[in-house]
Amino acid sequence: MPEPSQKPSSTQNKKPENKVKKMLELEKELNKEKADRAHQLWVSTETYGKKEADAKKRVEESDDEIARLKREINTRGKTLPKESGFKELKIELFLSERDSEHSVHKLLQGKFIALKANIATKTNVVPTTAASKALANYNSPFHSTVSSLLLQHGASLLPNANMDEFGMGSHTQFSPLLGPLSSPFSRNGKTLSPGGSSGGSALWVANELCWAAIGTDTGGSVRLPGAYCGIVGFKPSYGRISRWGVVQYANSLDTVGILAKEVGRAREVLETLDREDWRDMTCLGTNLRSRIQGASRRRDGRKSLRIGVPLEYNIAELSPSIKATYLRTLAALRASGHTLHPITLPTTRLALSAYYILAPAEASSNLAKYDGIRYGHRTSTSDASPNSDPPLPLYAQTRSEAFGPEVQRRILLGAYTLSSDAMDNYFLQAQRVRRMVQQDFDRIFDTQNPLLDPVAWAQDGEQEKVDVLLTPTAPTLPPTIEELEGQSPVESYMNDVFTVPASLAGLPAISVPVPLSAEERNGMDVKDVQTVGMQLIGQFGDDELVLDAAKTLESINQTA
Amino acid sequence: MNVRYASVGRVLTISSYRTPRACIVAKWIRSRGLSTQPPVQQEAVPLRKHLKEEAKKKKAQNKSNGKVKASEEISKWELTVGIEIHAELNTACKLFSSAPASVEDGEGAANSRVALFDAALPGTQPQFQKATLIPALRAAIALQCEVQRKSGWDRKHYFHWDQPNGYQITQYYDPFAKNGTLNLTAEDGVPASDLNGAESLSIGIKQVQMEQDTAKTTSHPPSSYHIDLNRAGHPLIEIITLPHIHSPQTATAVVRKIQAILKSVDACVTGMELGGLRADVNVSIRERGTNGLSSYSGVSGLGQRTEIKNLSSFKAVEDAIIAERNRQISVLEAGGVIEGETRGWTLGATETTRLRGKEGEVDYRYMPDADLPPLSIGQELVDHLRTTLPELPNETVERVQAQYGLSVKDAKTIVSLDDGDRLEFMEETVETLKQMLPGQNHDKLGKMVGNWVLHELGGLVSEESRWDEMTVTPQELADLLRNLQHKQITARAAKQLLATLHDSPASTERPSVEQLIDDGNLRLRPLSEEEYKALAKEIMDENPEMVAAVRDKGQKGKAMYFVGQMVRRGEEGTVEPEKAKQIVEKLLSS
Repeated sequence: MPEPSQKPSSTQNKKPENKVKKMLELEKELNKEKADRAHQLWVSTETYGKKEADAKKRVEESDDEIARLKREINTRGKTLPKESGFKELKIELFLSERDSEHSVHKLLQGKFIALKANIATKTNVVPTTAASKALANYNSPFHSTVSSLLLQHGASLLPNANMDEFGMGSHTQFSPLLGPLSSPFSRNGKTLSPGGSSGGSALWVANELCWAAIGTDTGGSVRLPGAYCGIVGFKPSYGRISRWGVVQYANSLDTVGILAKEVGRAREVLETLDREDWRDMTCLGTNLRSRIQGASRRRDGRKSLRIGVPLEYNIAELSPSIKATYLRTLAALRASGHTLHPITLPTTRLALSAYYILAPAEASSNLAKYDGIRYGHRTSTSDASPNSDPPLPLYAQTRSEAFGPEVQRRILLGAYTLSSDAMDNYFLQAQRVRRMVQQDFDRIFDTQNPLLDPVAWAQDGEQEKVDVLLTPTAPTLPPTIEELEGQSPVESYMNDVFTVPASLAGLPAISVPVPLSAEERNGMDVKDVQTVGMQLIGQFGDDELVLDAAKTLESINQTA
Repeated sequence: MNVRYASVGRVLTISSYRTPRACIVAKWIRSRGLSTQPPVQQEAVPLRKHLKEEAKKKKAQNKSNGKVKASEEISKWELTVGIEIHAELNTACKLFSSAPASVEDGEGAANSRVALFDAALPGTQPQFQKATLIPALRAAIALQCEVQRKSGWDRKHYFHWDQPNGYQITQYYDPFAKNGTLNLTAEDGVPASDLNGAESLSIGIKQVQMEQDTAKTTSHPPSSYHIDLNRAGHPLIEIITLPHIHSPQTATAVVRKIQAILKSVDACVTGMELGGLRADVNVSIRERGTNGLSSYSGVSGLGQRTEIKNLSSFKAVEDAIIAERNRQISVLEAGGVIEGETRGWTLGATETTRLRGKEGEVDYRYMPDADLPPLSIGQELVDHLRTTLPELPNETVERVQAQYGLSVKDAKTIVSLDDGDRLEFMEETVETLKQMLPGQNHDKLGKMVGNWVLHELGGLVSEESRWDEMTVTPQELADLLRNLQHKQITARAAKQLLATLHDSPASTERPSVEQLIDDGNLRLRPLSEEEYKALAKEIMDENPEMVAAVRDKGQKGKAMYFVGQMVRRGEEGTVEPEKAKQIVEKLLSS
């Protein structure tokens, strides 16, 4: 028979052809990478136009979905993108998605993901503002790695979620550009703080307007709004997710984090974002990633968790309802077969002070670029201030108009602690404290810190080793906005006391909402948040274990 | 308000409508470490010419003591100088982005070589480009530095529009190379008084660090400044010497020598006269035999220093130091006190000018850059670069002396001329000539070729024409010299032919040397003994008094007069001077 004999030969003929095709594709991809590396600041408008028709069609197709979202947007919140621009945004983002055609695995197909306003998104409709006047109307000419990866995996992005300006704040009240944000919850008619600085992202999730949201966590900015809005807030290990395109606040601490209703979603989003990136030299490289993977594989098969209870976290400021929930959660975990271990982290007390030295110091450096010359706000008056004595060159007026009071406060703090007279007493001391905080954690975790040399890692035979730590995320339930207004800056910094240590050490940490018990809810406003954020902290790189533990906690909540 | 990145390739305008502030800005620019001003364009001065001018100047100075500081005043005070040199590295891309490095000014449209990070867009981060390390390491090795296994990157903060991030990334706390040495001899221009009888002088190199260059600003009066970010982020190295320098001449020699070393190992793009190198000098004086109270770079007992920034030529370095030394002497002699301050110098000025005092000192708020992991340099890389390092100028001079028998002076001259092209020409000619003259003693060829390349060919390179326009090829010179060696032509004819070749346009139809010799009827046709005698006699008969002077008064030197006349009067290419001399001596003694 001629046919069967022909078939194999034809496939044989095809094989080299396929090879050529593959090579051509590869070359195309390489060229694309080259073009990418050439850093063309602007996409040529021609190719843009061609793709537009196609994208428009796709938008029409999803019009129903958009209509639903628009209705929700109109009823739920004022911080969402303006309706008028929404369709254009969708078109643009579909275009971006098409730009990254080589994605096949569409884990997030059709899912809406909100992005904090400090994550660069290449659109001409929604600017990347970091909630600052300094970046009002600033359209980023490039996508952050986070945006590209989400688009590649099929997600639809909702950028510019409200936040504290440049991430500096704990309640999303310092938002000079987008306005202060209110929680969906209230207490006796008084609005509560949504937490911050990723308050906008948390609100999108809490209002069920998106599937998950991206925030950034420098000292607790994902975990705290997670706790205050009753959702999951996850900060991975520093360096797991690329910071390319994330507007810097304190770059040695800034970590992209995920907010979602469920732990499972946070894990899915992490899967799409957990990549190496040559653009961010602090993003973990191949060697470290495989070392981390090896360590987590070794632990597979053990079901019972050793949970550390840090004694230093039992502070006087801990409110009764938080304490009660904390104890109840610990008891529930023990009841389901996990073991509890009291441990000490002696430098915890110093961590908050160190954080409020280091973060402003880095902020003063990172925010030096906002001079109004190349982009962003510039004063309309002559800003050389030639009449002042001594004359102020160029920047003073622009910057004092561009930055809100909290940002100015931290820039000044940072400029001071870095000045040659203060450096030794502040910045260097704070760095030492940071090292000690990290050593504290290394001493109590069973897994070795993969960042340390195996030899240098001292085995402390006396110390009991644990897998994760459990602590409250914040010392109190969310305060009302009114209460915040009466707080001094230092009082408000106190809010971060439980979240800051993990940030200083770069550890993965997650805030999981735990419902208040019936007695605790007794007498509480029904509109008040009915949950308390509980924080799990793991060793550096142990993100999977932390997510596993969070899942465990979540399922205990559901059965309880 | 619109984002001000209208397009790449357009100059960014700061302002065209604001009130003038030129004077503040100008002063401010001058006060900073790296210049934003276009470098002063100066003609490159050939070394020999430079040396001649130096000698002339010295003579003039010695004559007119009134104009300069009295020498006893100078000898009472000891000068100490430390230098910081910034050099642009010869690299393909910028230090922290893959944007191409702008090698020369005017190359590429303004703002066309700018990566996202170079424009400090929000959310961008530096990516260290490993390849930029190679020329930096070569420089450090050539300066005999210890390359550090681990070094780090720091941010140096100050606000200026030519610094888009608001800070410069540099290596303040842990530079990549430390503790180098620079050896200088009298040949490098070190005065005898600095050498103190020793053969050479060692200047310590404190450290070499890598850092970013700034953007370029051009002023468009009355009130606009344009910024070109092409240069922003270009890799620089900063070389810091110890305060081991005690005269203005040695300071210039140090800068010159460092430039030559950087060039020879291909570390640096252009010379100082073109803006590729910029120097800051620290100047202090103390009364000889006493110890001052100040110290820097680990050297104590010095007088209060001032810093003169942004010197962009050798002359500026020397003149600025002289002027500052004289100013400090005057202040101290008058019972005054030297302030620690930053001063400026403009070419042609007689005095340095105060830019800012201690109270105006910028606090750079140095901090480690958390976006960049520490820089680790493997020993294997350093070893590899060390073994493959190109020959250093010193080594070349020594080799040329040994290999070709040139004098120190000639060797140094030929090595320093025309970026090494002159030396290459000579070496090629010698090689060709050796192959043309097999089995002959080659010992003296090198010296002969050296002379011809330096002096005869050099004489043809007038001040307007340049060496790279040289049309004579090594092959042609070798052909000429072969004929000369074989006594086919006289030296005079060879020189004439060389000039002919030099003046005729280079092309494939250019006649060969052999043909030119034949065309010009220049081939030596030796006269017979009789013909020599006849020619000599004829001249002697015309000059009886000269004959008498030699014969009767014993003025033997005058015999050469007849030789000269014979060569002149004889037909071109017929009279060999040596043979003529023999004949004349014979006739005169008889």
